[in-house]
Amino acid sequence: MTALPPAARSAALPLPGSDNCVHCGFCLQACPTYLALDDENDSPRGRIVIMKAIADGALSFDDTDAQLHLDRCLGCRACETACPSGVPYGQLLELTRERGAARRTLPVVARLILFVFSNAPLLAVSMWKARVFRATGIPSLLARIPGRLGFAMAMLASTRRSAAGRNRSYSPRSSVARGKVATLDGCVMEGLFAPVNRATERTLAANGYMLVKAESQRCCGALHAHAGDASTARELARANIAAFEASGAEFIAVNSAGCGAAMKEYGHLLAGDSAWSERARAFGAKVRDVSELLAAAGPAQGGTLDVKVAYDAPCHLLHGQRVSAPPLAVLAAIPGLELVPLTDNDQCCGSAGIYNLVEPEISDLVLASKLRNIAASGAPVIATGNPGCLMQIGAGLLRSNGVAQSRHPVELLDASYAQRI
Amino acid sequence: MNGTKGRIERFGPSCVNSATSYFPFVTSLASELSQIVGARHVLQRPTELLVYQSDALPGYHKRPRLAVFPGTRDEAIAVVRALHRAQAPYVPRGAGTGLSGGALADDVVLIGMQRMRRIIAVDPVRRAATVEPGVVNANLTKAATPFGLHYAPDPSSQSACTIGGNVAENAGGPHCLKYGVTLNHVLAATVVLPGGDVVQLERHSESETGYDLIGAYVGSEGCFGVTLDVTVKLTPNPEGICTMLADFTSVDDAARATSAIVAAGILPAALELLDHGTIEAVESSIYAAGYPRDAAAVLLIEVDGALAGLDDDVTAVQRLCRECGAREIRTATDATDRARLWQGRKKAFGAMGRVAPHLAVQDAVVPRTKLATILARNAEIAARHRITVCNVFHAGDGNLHPNVPYNGNDPDEAARVHAALREIMEMCIAEGGTITGEHGVGLDKLGFMETLFTGDTLDAMCRLRTAWDPERRANPGKVVPMHSCREWLAAPGAHT
Repeated sequence: MTALPPAARSAALPLPGSDNCVHCGFCLQACPTYLALDDENDSPRGRIVIMKAIADGALSFDDTDAQLHLDRCLGCRACETACPSGVPYGQLLELTRERGAARRTLPVVARLILFVFSNAPLLAVSMWKARVFRATGIPSLLARIPGRLGFAMAMLASTRRSAAGRNRSYSPRSSVARGKVATLDGCVMEGLFAPVNRATERTLAANGYMLVKAESQRCCGALHAHAGDASTARELARANIAAFEASGAEFIAVNSAGCGAAMKEYGHLLAGDSAWSERARAFGAKVRDVSELLAAAGPAQGGTLDVKVAYDAPCHLLHGQRVSAPPLAVLAAIPGLELVPLTDNDQCCGSAGIYNLVEPEISDLVLASKLRNIAASGAPVIATGNPGCLMQIGAGLLRSNGVAQSRHPVELLDASYAQRI
Repeated sequence: MNGTKGRIERFGPSCVNSATSYFPFVTSLASELSQIVGARHVLQRPTELLVYQSDALPGYHKRPRLAVFPGTRDEAIAVVRALHRAQAPYVPRGAGTGLSGGALADDVVLIGMQRMRRIIAVDPVRRAATVEPGVVNANLTKAATPFGLHYAPDPSSQSACTIGGNVAENAGGPHCLKYGVTLNHVLAATVVLPGGDVVQLERHSESETGYDLIGAYVGSEGCFGVTLDVTVKLTPNPEGICTMLADFTSVDDAARATSAIVAAGILPAALELLDHGTIEAVESSIYAAGYPRDAAAVLLIEVDGALAGLDDDVTAVQRLCRECGAREIRTATDATDRARLWQGRKKAFGAMGRVAPHLAVQDAVVPRTKLATILARNAEIAARHRITVCNVFHAGDGNLHPNVPYNGNDPDEAARVHAALREIMEMCIAEGGTITGEHGVGLDKLGFMETLFTGDTLDAMCRLRTAWDPERRANPGKVVPMHSCREWLAAPGAHT
């Protein structure tokens, strides 16, 4: 007969939602690190066991095995869209990392990035330096040298856009007024992908949205929350809630899937803060991925682009936000664009925020299968709506001498509109 | 290994009191195994073994002493031979999706086969595929799809479970009603026996020469050897498929409809029953299939085959359902709709986590003619013990799966669940049923074996097991209760 589970320990910390896991194992094949490493310690089911053991007090936060396997999680949340019981895996992971944060130090590179992103002036200067460095052409030259330096150079080089991509212009022509939208600038998006942000604004305007500015907005805090620095994440969330409330926007458009997923969940992040929880929930309800707003408006058809495109779903769009059809609707609005299938396009590319910088070996393993599938698709353009994925896939393609490039779906729509409007 | 022989005999569950005394032996075994498979694929620290302490029946916690993950056939053979030299007991494991505790290693070595996941060959002409044991069931069908073929046995866990595990448990699935269980689809297997010999088991479709070793091996629950590769039949995709969802305002009506369909001589590809509690759990999940939430039960009925004659079966099924009180019968409109209806059914087990933190599930098979009576008695037993039973099962096969979501932190509730499930199983046996349709006996159903079989029959099973595994090191403590094995009891120093 079925054995009894151990009685609840008195010292147990709550881990809400973890009891939903019935250990069915349906998440295993959805997990990129399980597929890459073949050990259940590196699977969602295994990590839930570890997290529950930590919460129960059966395992210490300091346990090096536990840390190793939790650190190796990409946080892609593909297990959540495989889970019949709705285990909130991403929340369990963030809560566990938050509880453990006080007892351990993150790698230097992670601490540095998190600090810079939480400090607006420092962030602006760093991004400016990166752009200056990118303009020298040195990153492109060094993109193929082996090791992490080469990979970082390739990531930076992949963000470069041609003059044509930077200087598009056309006038909005929608006759329908669809409401006020404020866009999230985003640290990496405004810093390295400014042309994509402009394309976002133009395409939204072309579909009838009225753009308003949310001044003094900050980093969304997603990276901080993922890394267990919940207090910084909350501070940034509060700043953003105030900034976007002041803008009077009905919708908050986000073109970075990772940021959008985090912002939609501000209500959860600030649930314990009575002064902010209601405002945070209201804020989250206004957040939309840019593709959702465009798809709701049609979107308007553009001019012809004769190009073969494969779509790779960003994890935090597909699994985090459960947004699957809208990006395809954006691509479908481009006459001449041929969408070709990409095997396992619902699997992580290995970028996962700053994962590719702190866990390079596993990130490379995950990226390698993505690149194989991209090569097999034969598409010269890979569309994906998240800066991390754009850089990870972009860098992978540069380094493997592939001819393909990564592009944000709105960049393609923007180019199509520029043909016609 | 020679110097440690004195300690070897105490390795395993019977020696829990001397855990420290054989620790040096485990360390040297681990280093030998590391040389075979690489250090990364040998786990020996207790924290890393924690996640291997349960299969998909998490009520049991049995931690392995050591886990080893061979990546190739040669590595797997070398591992088994090393364990033979060390006289170490072991348990093979696929994806850990089993529901009988069969792959739990209680302080012994766990051999995880998940790394061996190559599809060696797909032969569309012969309609067969040869795969390594760690290949995921659904991935085999994916590989066969371009040829218009599929692997017919489709356990609900097919998106995660492995072919090796399917062979060990003789796994079933919804479509086994028409197409047969795993045993009917295995053509050949290469197996490393516990003694280290590698044998080729084959089954020839025409006439058998010698004993049917495939018949003995499939369903042996890891007690006869470790599978190195399996050759299975692939089945042509049917010309036509019609998937129907009939909903009923009483479970009794749905059960009667099942019996009526079977009695009418129709053989559906699948005939599944989901009751109200299951429908609620599924419809709250990401796999919501559009099952009516106000129904007491639904039947998911699939009829397939040549297009000619298919409509007649569909019409007959619909008529029989209506005669038994079906409120509405929905037909899947296209492949997507059909897949959605099936996903809801196949993920139902996993969705039970929404109802309560713990889950017990059973696997009784009962005569289909008695389905309505037995379901009514199940409900009566559940009510008396104040527990919730969610039924989701292969109605066409009479293979019941009472799922009992409960709060195990409440000892009183847990005790009631135990008592109720035991009563349900005993009632099923008394009605002419048996204790497992597809999950295997494993650890969970060990206690029912003596109710079901005579001492002589159990003894025959023990002797068969000994023929494959004279030292009884493969999956110890499972399937056949050792104390019922006379030969074992007669052995010097035997203990239960």
